[in-house]
Amino acid sequence: MSATLKPYLTAVRHTLASAMCLEHFSSQVVERYNKPEVEVGTSKELLLNPVIISRNANEKVLIESSINSIRISIMIKQADEIEKILCKKFMRFMMMRAENFIVLRRKPVDGYHISFLITNFHTEQMYKHKLVDFVIYFMEEIDKEISEMKLAVNARARICSEEFLKRF
Amino acid sequence: MAKNTSSSAFRKIDIDQYNEDNFKEDEAEQAVPTGPDEGEVCALLNQARYVEALKHVLNNAPLGSTDQQVKDNALSLTLKVLIAVKSAQIEEVVGNLSLDDIDILMKYIYRGFEYPSEGSSGHLLLWHEKAFNIGGAGSIVRVLSDRMKV
Repeated sequence: MSATLKPYLTAVRHTLASAMCLEHFSSQVVERYNKPEVEVGTSKELLLNPVIISRNANEKVLIESSINSIRISIMIKQADEIEKILCKKFMRFMMMRAENFIVLRRKPVDGYHISFLITNFHTEQMYKHKLVDFVIYFMEEIDKEISEMKLAVNARARICSEEFLKRF
Repeated sequence: MAKNTSSSAFRKIDIDQYNEDNFKEDEAEQAVPTGPDEGEVCALLNQARYVEALKHVLNNAPLGSTDQQVKDNALSLTLKVLIAVKSAQIEEVVGNLSLDDIDILMKYIYRGFEYPSEGSSGHLLLWHEKAFNIGGAGSIVRVLSDRMKV
């Protein structure tokens, strides 16, 4: 199964590199405003086709791009109840601090666990290839972090119950 | 005064739709192919003539068709062909395609990702890699920007 990890991440990387071509574009509807068109979504001519890249039924990435912004939504593999709870809490922790993350979206898109919103202002200030590297690194590390947390939870639970049951 | 001055229904009219500058989607003028022939494709697959089966499916892709059923049928047929080709032969098959075919192939690969089934996504990832090696970033950009969706 981990044989698909590398092709999955390469496919996501290539697609991101192709989709993250953003330029400054003011709102056509309201003067002197600048809105991320992928979030507004009313002008069809400014949106690109959304694409999905899936590794299996539980892990996929949705990439929606537009002329000045791109939205990347990730669905993370959750094998059991503990991982579901850990993932939810971890994502919530990060999304509450979305301002410090800069490219994170405060709410995930429907059906996904976490979303990034990258605008042309971000690509002007940061290197595009580094942004792509960051998203890929994030996807790799999330799975490892959640597994580590799950092991820690199980280890702590075992130690606690051992100590408790020593009394009997 | 006979005029109804208390009605404010005029406020609910969306006047932006009458703006001449509005973007209008190009209406589909040309006739689109009706999709690949299932019998022929199955016959080619049974004879293990994968390159021809794939070429047939790609040349008859119902691009820009408005009939969703036709598109779905073509999609399932194409996915059948893609999954039938073994991992070792993918590179050779892709090498036999023209660049236009590779663009259409990329479109089908991305569509195939939307319906993950047993091991299909892993196989499609291999196809994606091989098609990318030949088509390059341009093939992906054309998937994202082409209005003629497969």
